[in-house]
Order: sequence, then C-alpha cells, then structure tokens
Amino acid sequence: MKKLALLLVLLMVLPLAACGPAATTPPAAQPTTAPAVKELTIMWAQWDPADYLQKIGQLYEQETGIKVTVIQEPWGSFYNRVAAEWAAHGTAFDMVVGDSQWLGQAATQGHYLELTDFLKSEGIDKTVTEATLTYYGEYPTGSGRYWAYPTEGDAVGWAYRKDLFENPEEKAAFKAKYGYDLDVPKTWEQLYQIAEFFTRPDKGLYGVAIYTQKDYDGITMGFENVFFSWGADWKDPKTNEVKGWVNSPQAVEALEFYRKLYAFAPPGSSNDFFAECNNHFTAGEVAMAMNYFAFFPALSNPATNPYASVTGFFAVPAGPTGQRFAALGGQGLSINAYISPERQEAAKNFIRWFAREDIQRKWAEFGGYTCNKAVLASDAFLKAQPYNPAFADTMQVVKDFWNVPVYGQLLEVVQRELQAYVVGGQGTAKEVLDRIAEEHDKILRQAGLIK
Amino acid sequence: MALWSATQSVGSDRSARTGIRRRQLSDRAIQWLFIAPTLILLVAMNIFPLFYSLFLSFTNYSAISAAAPVWVGLGNYQHILSDKQLWTYFATTGRYAVAAVGLETLLGFGLAMLLREKFRASGFITTLILVPMMLSPVVVGLFWKLIFNPQSGIFNYLLGFAAGQGPDWLKDPKLALWAVVIVDVWMWAPFVMLLCLSGLNAIPEYLYEAAVIDRASPWFQFWRITLPQVAPLLLIAVLFRTIEAFKAFDLVMGLTGGGPGDATELIAVNLYRIAFPPQFQTGLGSALAYIILVLIVAISNLYIRSLSRIRGEV
Amino acid sequence: MEKSQRRQRAPIVEAIRVDKISGGTRLVQAIRIVLAVVYAALSLIPVLWIGMTAFKSRPDATAVPPKVFFKPTLEGFVSLLTDRAILLEARRQELLQHLDELPWYQRLMVQQGMEVTGPSQYVGRLKNSMIIAGVSTVAAVVLGLLAAYAFSRFPVPGKGDLLFFILSTRMLPPVVVTIPIFLMYRRLGLHDTHIGLILLYTVFNLSFSVWLMKGFLDEIPREYEEAALVDGYTRLQAFFKVVLPNSLSGLAATTVFCLIFAWNEYAFALMLTTDKARTAPPSITTMLGRGGIEWASIAAGSLGFLIPVVLVTFALRKYLLRGVTFGAIRQ
Repeated sequence: MKKLALLLVLLMVLPLAACGPAATTPPAAQPTTAPAVKELTIMWAQWDPADYLQKIGQLYEQETGIKVTVIQEPWGSFYNRVAAEWAAHGTAFDMVVGDSQWLGQAATQGHYLELTDFLKSEGIDKTVTEATLTYYGEYPTGSGRYWAYPTEGDAVGWAYRKDLFENPEEKAAFKAKYGYDLDVPKTWEQLYQIAEFFTRPDKGLYGVAIYTQKDYDGITMGFENVFFSWGADWKDPKTNEVKGWVNSPQAVEALEFYRKLYAFAPPGSSNDFFAECNNHFTAGEVAMAMNYFAFFPALSNPATNPYASVTGFFAVPAGPTGQRFAALGGQGLSINAYISPERQEAAKNFIRWFAREDIQRKWAEFGGYTCNKAVLASDAFLKAQPYNPAFADTMQVVKDFWNVPVYGQLLEVVQRELQAYVVGGQGTAKEVLDRIAEEHDKILRQAGLIK
Repeated sequence: MALWSATQSVGSDRSARTGIRRRQLSDRAIQWLFIAPTLILLVAMNIFPLFYSLFLSFTNYSAISAAAPVWVGLGNYQHILSDKQLWTYFATTGRYAVAAVGLETLLGFGLAMLLREKFRASGFITTLILVPMMLSPVVVGLFWKLIFNPQSGIFNYLLGFAAGQGPDWLKDPKLALWAVVIVDVWMWAPFVMLLCLSGLNAIPEYLYEAAVIDRASPWFQFWRITLPQVAPLLLIAVLFRTIEAFKAFDLVMGLTGGGPGDATELIAVNLYRIAFPPQFQTGLGSALAYIILVLIVAISNLYIRSLSRIRGEV
Repeated sequence: MEKSQRRQRAPIVEAIRVDKISGGTRLVQAIRIVLAVVYAALSLIPVLWIGMTAFKSRPDATAVPPKVFFKPTLEGFVSLLTDRAILLEARRQELLQHLDELPWYQRLMVQQGMEVTGPSQYVGRLKNSMIIAGVSTVAAVVLGLLAAYAFSRFPVPGKGDLLFFILSTRMLPPVVVTIPIFLMYRRLGLHDTHIGLILLYTVFNLSFSVWLMKGFLDEIPREYEEAALVDGYTRLQAFFKVVLPNSLSGLAATTVFCLIFAWNEYAFALMLTTDKARTAPPSITTMLGRGGIEWASIAAGSLGFLIPVVLVTFALRKYLLRGVTFGAIRQ
C-alpha cells in the first residue's frame, strides 16, 4: 500500500516537474513583420531531397545572410500537416514543396500565392522544361497561370539487375525461348516476357516489383504507366468527359496487362509502394522494379543495395502503338499565401536565386532532380548518376493524374477498384473500368467540371 | 487487512468523532465535488468539437477550403444513406467487430479462468500475456505486415508452411479480414482477460461455499455464480472493445491499408479517407461520423441495458 | 490473515468446485499452467520478433526464409538515434580511408553508405510521451476514481444519463473531432503544447476511467463504509481509509489501460503537434521510406517505446492482479 502510494506520488510529481517549463513556454512567436526577413522556412517531406535542399539553403545563407530552414515531415503525415496549416491560414512555413496533385486545391482556395507574373517577368518560366512547368506549376491546366516553381522533377522509372540480364547463359536461354535478345525492354510486351522469364519461385526470384498499394495513390501511379502507354487517358482533354475514355478498349487491355504483370511479383507484394519496391530489389527478389527516380539513389548506393554495382536503370517502355508515358511524381516550390508581404517578397527572392542556372547545377550536383532545361541537357548531369539518362529521357514523356480539387475522391475510386481487380482478383477489367468511369462522371458532374 | 487498518484508525479517531460530525461535508456536497471536475472537463473539451462537427455535418465544408461552410441540410446524410459502397464498409466493420470481439471474449475469458487460481509465477505469466496490448497499433500493423509476409514472415512458418508455400494473408480478399481479426485478437484478448480476472477475483468465496453445501454441480456453479458475477466487468470489456472496433483505424491502415480492394476497408478507415487527405470532405465526414455515433450509441445501449439487468438495477 | 484462512478452507472447496478449476488433482492444475504458459509464449513471438529485428542488419530483417539466428548489430539503434545523410561516392571513399578514426556509430553508418549528421529527435519525443502520457493518466485516474465513487454510492440525479453522456464522449470516431479540436487548439494557443495533449488524453480516458472504476467500486460492499460511518468516520475518511485501499486493484488496472492509450495514441498526436510536443508514435513511422523500409530502426524505436509501459505494468502487477479479495472478511 505504502509502496503504491509512493509510486503514484512519483508518477504524479515527476512528469509535472518535467513538464512545468515545457508547458508554460508561450506558443511559438509569430514571425515578426519586421521589414528585414532574417530567416525563411520551407516545408517538405522527410526524405533525401529535402536534405539536399537544406544544403542549398546553407549556400543561400552564405550569400545573403538569410537563414533557410527546411522542415521535414514524414511522408505519411506531410499532406496532413500542410493541409492543417491551410485550414488555419497558418504561417508556420513560408514556402512549401508541394505535390503536383495539390495544385487544384491550393490554387482555387488561395493557399498558394500566384506566381504567374513573377515567373514570367523574371523569365524563370523559360528556364524549366514545358512538361514540368505544366504539371508542377500550372493550374488550371492550359490556363497559363502558375503557382509553383518546378523544383524536384520525378517520374516512374525502372531499375534492373544487369548481372541477370547480361549473363550469357540467361541470354541464350532467353533467345531460345522468345526468339530475340535479352536486353533492356523497349516495349511493355518485352518487359512482360522478361518478367515471366525470370520468375523462378523455387529460387526465390521473381520478375518484377510493381506498385500495388491501396493507400493514397500507390497502385494508380503504377498502373498509369501502362494505362497512358496503351493510349488511354483519364479524360477527354477538351471536355473533361470520362465515359468512353477511362473505360476505353485500350484502358481495358492495359488493366488486364497490369494484372498479368502482377503475377510475376513476389508473394507478399499485395500492398507495395516505393519503399517495398526498393526492398524487393535490394533483397535480390526481383529482376526489375518500378519506382520513382527519387528513390533510385538508394539502389545505386552499394551500402543500401548489395547489387548496386550490377544495377541498371531504364525509362518506361512503349505500349502496343509505340506510345510511351510515365506517371509523374515530383513537386514544385510554392509560397504560402498567408505570410506577410515582406516575407512573400523574401520568398520570391529565394526562388529567383534558386532558379539561377548555376544554383540549379548545384542542386543537381547535391542530388536534387532539377527541372532546369539547360542543366538537364548538360553532359555533366547525364554522367553524374547512372539513372540520370533514363531520368532525362523520362521527363520528356510524363503524364499525371487529375489535379482538380476533387482529385482525392477520383483517386479513392480508382485505388479501390484497381486494387480489388489486380490484387484481389475480383471482377473483369471492363467491369472495373466501367465502374470507375461511372463514379468519376458523377463526382466530376457534381463538382461542375463536366458540363 | 483493510478492515484491520480501518479499525485501528477508528480507535484513534473516536475521541474527536462528535466534533467532526458537525463540520464535515454533506454527502450531497461530496457527491458533486467528486463528479464536477470530470463533468466540467468533459463538457468543456467536448461541447465545441461535438456541436461544431454536428453543424459541419449539415454543410459542404472542406477543411482546406477558403470558402465558408454552406448549409446543405440533410444532403450529406442522404448521400451516405444512399451510398451502397459505404454500406459494404459498415457490413465489413460489423463482421470484423463480431469476429474480433467474439474471439477476444472467448479467449480472454478462457485465459482468465486458466489464470484465476494462483500458481508460482502466475502473476509474471499474466503480465507477459498483457504485453501485446501495450504496443502501439501503428507499430503492430507495420510489423504484422512483415510477419504475415509469405516469404520472409514467420507466421506461415509457425503454421508449418515452407517459404512462399503458405497463404498470402494480406493479398487474398477472403483471408485479409481474418488477418486483421487475428492481429486484433492477439492484441486485445489480454484486455478482456484482465478485466475478467479482476471480476473473478472479486467473487466472494462464500457464494461457492454455500453452493458446495447445497451440493450444487460445478456446471451450476459456473452458470449461476461465476458467470453472473463476472458479467458486469466482462460486459464493460466487450462494450469498450465493440466501440473501438467501430473506430478501428490505425491498425488496419498499417496492415492492409483497407485492401485488397475493399476487403478490409472498415468504416473508420474510410471515414479517415473522406475527412482527411486527399479528399478533405469535412462536412460529409462529419455526417458519417454522426451516423457511426448513432450506431455505437444504439449498440452501447443494448449492452448497458443487459448490464443493468445483470446488476439488478433499473 | 486471509491467507491462513484460505489455506484451512481449501481442501473442502477444491474437492468439488470444478469451474474454479482449482483442481484437486495436480493434473488439472498442470494442464492449466501449461496452457497458460503456451499461450503466453505464442503471443510473445511477434513481440520477440520485433525485439530481434531491432538487432538485425538490413538484409537479415527481410531474409527468406526468416532468420532466427543472425549476427546482431546495433545499426538499427544507431539509425534510430541519429539523423543521417546518404554519402556521395567521393565523400564515402574519403571517410572509408579514415574509418578507424571515426566513432563507432559513425563507422557503422559509413559502412551503410550514410553519415551521421546529428542526433535524431527520438529521445526528445520519448520524453514528450512520458510527460504527456504520465500526467494525463494520473489525472484521468484520479478524476475518474472520484466521479466513479460518487456514481457508485450516491443517488446522483440523472445518474444513468450522466453516465451515458460520459461514455458517449468516447464514441465519436476521433478522426472527426480532430478538425474542430485542431481549430479550437489553434485559437486557444494549445496547438503543439504539452498541456494541450494532456488535456485531450485526460478527457479521452476519463470516460473509460469512470466506467471501469465504477465497475470496481460497485464490487466493494457498501457495508464496509457503512460500518465505518457508524464507527464515526466521516464520508471522506471512509472513502480514503476504507474504499481507496480496497480499490487498489481497480486503480492499477485503470492506470495501466489509460497509460497504454495515452502512450500509444497516434491520430491526435499527428494532427495536434508539430514539433515541440510531438510524441513518439507519429515519429516511429518516420523511419519508413528512405529508399526502403528500415525495419531494424523501426523495431528499435518500437522496442524503446514499449519498455516504459512494460515496466509500469510490471511494477503495478501485484495490484493489477490481486483483485478485490475481501470475500473472506465479509464472512
């Protein structure tokens, strides 16, 4: 009894004592509106590119004396945290490196500062590739209004095991079976056959690791590579009409293909996204793995990937009609609309500086995926990393999901239906896509996006 | 022991007794003094969120929208009640709740019966059994994903399958919900056990002694003494587990993400999707939450009614 | 006193009572023990697995078939406790040449192709967890005990409704109140503060604590207090000297449950804290997705996070398991 009382008292007093100072400190001081802005904060997800951006920030501090802090939030809660700031019209960060799909929500609701005049008058819009400016910066698509500076280009590419592909015995066996030389696949059909060829469950080896995750946008980002390459699209580019597009015959074929491909994925890959795909690859379970380029540094690093020295990279293969499209990842740098005009000006100064070619070159050197045309085309960039040529190639053929404010609802339908079909093996591709088209139509009509 | 210490102090107090009697707080005062802090805190912290989200449930509000909420009347409720997809999620949640809570009750009660009578290290064993409950659901979801992996996971190994030979628990739509149930039971059966154990320990010996004198069969003793006496605590355990089942979210998110397809899409998981990224349909989400609330209230009422019946209260 | 009484009585009782399987025969007793131990062992395998994974190297963590025997490494713990950057090749070569001069953790990480850049926030977040979970648990248990006592012993007007109101505060899926609470906290300056989360967890646990404590207090015969009152105790004295000692087991159980909830809560912590008051659960998952899942460091983080609760539970185990054993006195 006495002991328990003592324990209770201890339990009560200890934390109180510890929390005293912590709990009484006043809430974070609001950024002062003093004219001289001495520091800037940039919000981004917690990953390596954010570390690189922090290094860029240090350069900026050396040059201007303005301290740049990159706040990193784990991917799982990154969107939550940014949205929470939006909801509260908060000023916890001056800039955010936001996902391409957020543009609609952020632009229409005024969370991002419009950068059209700024980017144009400074000529910054001309320094980045058209595709990245459109996907990372523009909303509505085709309107010529910009909300972000394309910062981290990204798209889905492929890693493969050179040791398997270049093994003479494998090459001979492959040639005998399929009648052509085993090499980096040029078409999805070849990729399929190579995957089939290397699927050897008794040896613990499988053909591919592909995205299958249900949460957020995993499986959709994987499927899109096939979907777009087959010539299908989410909508009529002019009218936004979805029926007949989402469930076109090409789309059906593409979906059937994706499920066939899934058969060559290792067991236990029913909920895979970027981390899992890399894991399969580094564990030596697969011959090829799809992933965002942003996650390839870990595969070319001998410490994180025992097969690093024999890992090669290639860009998305072509569909039946020769079309080639990769699902877009990546982010643009936007300015928080709720900060003071002085801070907005300071943020613009940072972007102006960051967009300079020499700084973009530095950015690429540190490991950032620049969107700067000149840097992307430079020899130095192409040779810097083994995956850079494939990256530069891919960035020419990127395509994205919807970025309208209701994209979340559209996405949920696709995620659910695709995963049920591909992973769960339920229904037919036609049924699945018909349902998606039906529901997309309803959502878009409600949002007034289809007239 | 308690009584002994009580008598001791009574002796020392006795002299001052009459004096104290007059100055002491009345039962009524104590009653409110004891209840007030809890009620005030609950009301203060809940009233705004509850009413605000109730209000939002009648609007088209989105948390990330700059626009003020627009009143849409019963629109959200209509939308939900006519959305077949949502009802499959409710059905999934129901199946999950029945399976998980049912198994937890059986297992928890069974364990309590096993551990009821002390043996050497029984306290140690009991506490060990409680360990799964202490883990964070997010962590549990993550690790069981690894454990269920048909290649590198130990679950299938323990069941006696070789690598890649066993079922792929999280991929098969028929097994996935069971996988979630298994993890939930693993985590929470100890909770039921602990409450049952307390209930069992509280049964006065004399009830059994009387039964023995009446030559009642063990079966009779179980049904007429053990079970009714444990029932109140058992019901509280079941009640809280049921409520939690309708709110279950982080475990499933970590384990299956609601997949494959919608095989493990519990209503709370879907609610999260609606109310948070990437959809942010705060109004619709609030309406769904209130529907869930009504459902939970109804179920809780059933439990509480049987609880009162058992206790003989009205 | 109780013990000796029980021992004397035991032979009569145990001979017949089967349901309270105190089994006259040793066999029944042995079966019970074996079953309980087997269950405990089985249910601990996943926990053990987490513990083992914490000491595994990256390839060992997902090896096929799963590895039970492996060469332990502290990689996971180093990753957990440090911030690291992936090394560019040139820097890696440079560091590899001076490997012997580096501290041991740096050496471990350089071999992993990474460089330690500073301590991680894990320890700070663990501390936040301790403060928040500790204070809110004590508050919820104390308030819950008082309220439960009043509900259990006095004819509180509208008792049923009040109790139901208290319970109902736990019924609304937290996902939905998060947004109003978030907005409210922003306004009140409680966002990302310890006190904010403490208040919230206290409130969240209160309903549970009241209901559970009431269950325990209802089991304590009123005759005890009545006897004490007759003996000249005031109501408060009776409460502290008679009821409280008898409800220790209930208190311990309630404490453990409230602590476990507050300790592991994830959704609110994620939404209502950013940095200063962020607890450990939202940060354990941060080890995900740096080019692959760092199972070892997630495991290490989970392990470090599990240990404090286990310690508290073990410390309270005597009371947790003792139950309310006053049947004998009542006789």
